[in-house]
Amino acid sequence: MAAGNMKTIKRRIKSVGSTKQITKAMELVASSKLRKAKKKEKETRPFFEAQEKMLHEIYRSHSVETEYAKHRGEVKNSLYIVIAGDKGLAGGYNSNVFKKVGEIHGAKPWSPKIFAIGKKAVDYFEKRDFNLVGGRSNIAENIKSGHCSGIARAAIEQFVNGEVDEVKMFYTKFVSSMVQETKVMQLLPLVLPEEYKDENEPGDAGKQEQEAKSKLPPTYDPSPDAVFHRIVPNFIAGLIQSAITESYTSELSARQTAMESASENAEEMIDRLSLLYNRARQEKITNEINEIVGGANAL
Amino acid sequence: MTTPFNLEIITPAGVFYDGETPNLIVRTTVGDKGILARHEPYIAALPIGIMRVMTEDKKFRKAAISTGTVQVKDNGDTVILVQSCEWCDEIDVERAQAAKERAEERIRDAELSDVQHAIAEFKLKRALNRLGAAE
Repeated sequence: MAAGNMKTIKRRIKSVGSTKQITKAMELVASSKLRKAKKKEKETRPFFEAQEKMLHEIYRSHSVETEYAKHRGEVKNSLYIVIAGDKGLAGGYNSNVFKKVGEIHGAKPWSPKIFAIGKKAVDYFEKRDFNLVGGRSNIAENIKSGHCSGIARAAIEQFVNGEVDEVKMFYTKFVSSMVQETKVMQLLPLVLPEEYKDENEPGDAGKQEQEAKSKLPPTYDPSPDAVFHRIVPNFIAGLIQSAITESYTSELSARQTAMESASENAEEMIDRLSLLYNRARQEKITNEINEIVGGANAL
Repeated sequence: MTTPFNLEIITPAGVFYDGETPNLIVRTTVGDKGILARHEPYIAALPIGIMRVMTEDKKFRKAAISTGTVQVKDNGDTVILVQSCEWCDEIDVERAQAAKERAEERIRDAELSDVQHAIAEFKLKRALNRLGAAE
């Protein structure tokens, strides 16, 4: 009995040990990729910030007439762009995004159109009763602006055609290596300065506006409207690209944390199993001695 | 003519150029536009095309760009936001050639949707621009 027990424990220690090796390796891979992803995010940021600033500037200095920013009253159909990971084993990273989709959509009677980014997202929405209109897998690690402008173009086309009344994007914001927040962002109709002024300090927004007015308005080639409409697709592609980059950073960070705690748990389990193993071994020896002594006494 | 001004070229891949230049010529959607120091505030859309930046030795250095915008700010600083930018003398001709052939093949595919067709066309334009610029 004792010998059999020892064998099982030994086998378990070995199996937990090899699992630990895997989780440890994944942790290291995630942390080195995370470093790269953070660097990339930093490089891409200036472009998107500058682009957003320019778009708002044009909108503020000229009253641009644009269908991109027009609300259509009641929303009867939505396109959701959902960004999740290509791989699992990242704690709650993927499921949190999907939960958010359900939460935001709520009990609306129509089924939203879904554009899934990341293999896990494609799999999730394919299996369930969703209207999956498209998906891209394995693009997050080496994201190119080409991927995003394709997605943006398709989203804009659906919005302009009237197939959907709004386009929302679900992604994961990287707050710190411990905290990642699942977020939802409205892409279309465009959220322009007027609409989120109340989020800023009222004095701050007023001052900015005054500043913009006191400045000489720039000359536009060919016209403010034309420039504005040219920027919008790039701008939306930019928003998508930065959300993918940010989500990818979050994914790696979540995976690193998950794998770190998995390695720790494995370590703990090995300790406990070793204790059991030693106890069983001692018991076996004691038994053997008892048997020998007992045998000797019987003689 | 020789007064330099600040020029920043930013792409999604990072800041491509951040320095001074005395003269810049960009091809906007309505034609070539030269920008010198103390230009008035100006914003224009840029198609896929070629841009020339004057370097310290008074020579123009050509760069191939793909869609974006140019903005001259109040203080004369110029910012160019483009999807991609490459100095013509650094273009990988083989890569551009391969991209061109790929795009051509794709355009011939009759089953493309409008969006896919537009993307393929955009890619072909970009590849042709880079090839043309490298020559």
